[in-house]
Amino acid sequence: MKLDKYELKSGEQLEAFEFVSVGDRGRIPKIVQYTPTNYKDLYNLGFGDKNSDTGEIDDTVISNNGDSEKVLATVVATLYAFIDKHKEAMVYATGSTKSRTRLYRMGITKYLDEIKEDFEIYGQIENEWEEFRKDVDYEAFLVKLKEN
Amino acid sequence: MGLKGINTKKKPIVLVDKSLDFFNDKVLFPKKLEKANEMLKKVGLPKPDKKAP
Repeated sequence: MKLDKYELKSGEQLEAFEFVSVGDRGRIPKIVQYTPTNYKDLYNLGFGDKNSDTGEIDDTVISNNGDSEKVLATVVATLYAFIDKHKEAMVYATGSTKSRTRLYRMGITKYLDEIKEDFEIYGQIENEWEEFRKDVDYEAFLVKLKEN
Repeated sequence: MGLKGINTKKKPIVLVDKSLDFFNDKVLFPKKLEKANEMLKKVGLPKPDKKAP
């Protein structure tokens, strides 16, 4: 990814990542976590703000820190790091709100050509999965490493 | 058939901070995980040959 990204920190398992968004509203710590679902090798992507004072995590807050592109690029970067460590993993992602899901879709669309070089990516619509297409209002996304 | 590796140039630099391993056994986004499990139970996984119309 050539786009500007924030510096990432993670534990050794590369399952939880932390970075700090810096923008109009100051410094906002962000957390990305890949959590195992009930399905083998399938992880849920969680992403939200960490309250510096209380340590509480909130995935519904709208930061408006003026750096959404850089934040999205950083979240995509965690996907590369996570899947490089967990090669069999599939990642499920959806937003906590419709508008956030739309934001994810816009992010995927923006980097689609690059993402498709390494990953298979699917969109979920009307209780079906299909190969991701631009401009379709998906409810969720699923990503996995391409097979040779 | 094996899995394709990620192009080295695309791997981000990640600073290891062992304090973040503290989160490994914790679910930081429980509502989202619950929603994901419910949805996956209903929809299942993509079929490998499922192409967009």
